[in-house]
Amino acid sequence: MAALLELEGVTAGYGGGDILHELTLTVGEGGITCIVGPNGAGKSTVLRVVSGLLRPRLGSVRFRGASIVGQSPRAILRRGIVQVPQERSLFSTMSVWENVRMGAYTVHDRALVARRLHEVCETFPIIRERRHEPAASLSGGQQKIVEFARALMLDPALVVLDEPSMGLDPKTRTVVFDTIRALNQAGRTILLVEQNARSGLGLASHGVVLESGRIRLEGPGLALLDNPEIGRLYLGATG
Amino acid sequence: MTLVLEAAVLGILTGGVYALMASGLTLIFGVMRIINVGQGALVILGAYLSFVLFRTWHVDPFLSLIVTMPVMFALGVVLQLIFIRPLTTDREALSVLVTYAIALGIEGILGYIFSTNYVQLRAWYETASFAIVDFHITYVYVFGFLLCLAILGALFLMLYRTTFGAAIRATMLNRTAAQLIGIDVDRVAALAFGIGMATAAAGGVVFGITNAFNPGSHYDLISRLLTIIVLGGLGSLRGAVIAALIMLVTEDITAVVVSPVWASFAFFVILVAVLIVRPQGLFGLRVRDRI
Repeated sequence: MAALLELEGVTAGYGGGDILHELTLTVGEGGITCIVGPNGAGKSTVLRVVSGLLRPRLGSVRFRGASIVGQSPRAILRRGIVQVPQERSLFSTMSVWENVRMGAYTVHDRALVARRLHEVCETFPIIRERRHEPAASLSGGQQKIVEFARALMLDPALVVLDEPSMGLDPKTRTVVFDTIRALNQAGRTILLVEQNARSGLGLASHGVVLESGRIRLEGPGLALLDNPEIGRLYLGATG
Repeated sequence: MTLVLEAAVLGILTGGVYALMASGLTLIFGVMRIINVGQGALVILGAYLSFVLFRTWHVDPFLSLIVTMPVMFALGVVLQLIFIRPLTTDREALSVLVTYAIALGIEGILGYIFSTNYVQLRAWYETASFAIVDFHITYVYVFGFLLCLAILGALFLMLYRTTFGAAIRATMLNRTAAQLIGIDVDRVAALAFGIGMATAAAGGVVFGITNAFNPGSHYDLISRLLTIIVLGGLGSLRGAVIAALIMLVTEDITAVVVSPVWASFAFFVILVAVLIVRPQGLFGLRVRDRI
């Protein structure tokens, strides 16, 4: 699998302290890469570095071979990397339709925006059904689906998802993971951070276990699930 | 009864002016999460700019806005770049100190140039009035109200009918999510600060015609503007407009029916009552709604 995104020797953190220590990670094109690990391991920090919200102190980040270190979130977005953050990120008082349209904020071709809206509505019928309702009126799972739809408005090459199942009930969680699988099968590369190791690694073509800002284990997702160490460390608690 | 009606009408007309001045304050808070305690000084600065144009070239105060609003907009963008953008941590608390320093700086410069003597903008409509039923309304209040309606209308159109307005609203609702969809939030913040200052210029003109002012007049003004946006809900433009009308109408009617001494007190009773029931103000979002 060719590398779409490569982090090499990345050291990053907030204020004076480092969270990530010389992290090296490759995201293969067309796959699902899932990062799991305990709270404070630096999972979300990896994603903030990738999307340009946090500039690494050391190391390189390359997307399709070109460096994206130091670029603004807007510039990185234009390269085709879209992030759905961990917390609810819809614009609460805007309608569902407005929220999805805002996903194409950087696209100025109206015909293209209309076509993407049509495509997104085909994939997620709820967008059309609830189009006039304020985003805040949707359930947690529905909001997550609208966030996915908004992310797809840019037809991204890489979709970055930060703990998409967080705060969702088991049934809704299944719907969200099915959606992630469907997005991947439609050709999207996914970089996923997930607290729920069993669900995340079960889905992933490539899994990474992060601990204290360093990679502890990595390999195919299902192989990691079978690893006794992973079972002992994470699955007992999360499964 | 006529007196009460007259007070209510005057309250609505002057409430519009306060709504305009508060709209800039609430917009700036919404976009940047900063409390601009310098907004009162900026209103006074706007009034002095119009005063200079009036004294030097006899430019009509309302016409002077063609010059003062763009000047104040540009000044706002520069002030935001120099003083607000560098605040990366603890922004809400530090912004109070920084914008208070801006207010003191403006007061000091104005005091140096114009002294602390009171001045007032002059125009024919300052005292001329017309009769409705049994009472008279001075033209300046009507013109001021119409100006505020026009500017607030333009502000609402910009916010709800343009892509840039959608970017402002998105930034107000969720700054990180706005960044992640490609909105340049720093640019939005600079322009919003500029817009807030342009509204201060417009408010300053009406304030300057209806009140004598000096460089220190901003203290009373900012306390009233802050009260308005707290009642309306921090970051809510609609809330600022309605709260301003409630404030001025309540004060004016109380002054007529009870006594001018109790005018402000009556408003604060309403403020406290609303905040007990809705701590987020009339139209403010609860913190958990933003998460």
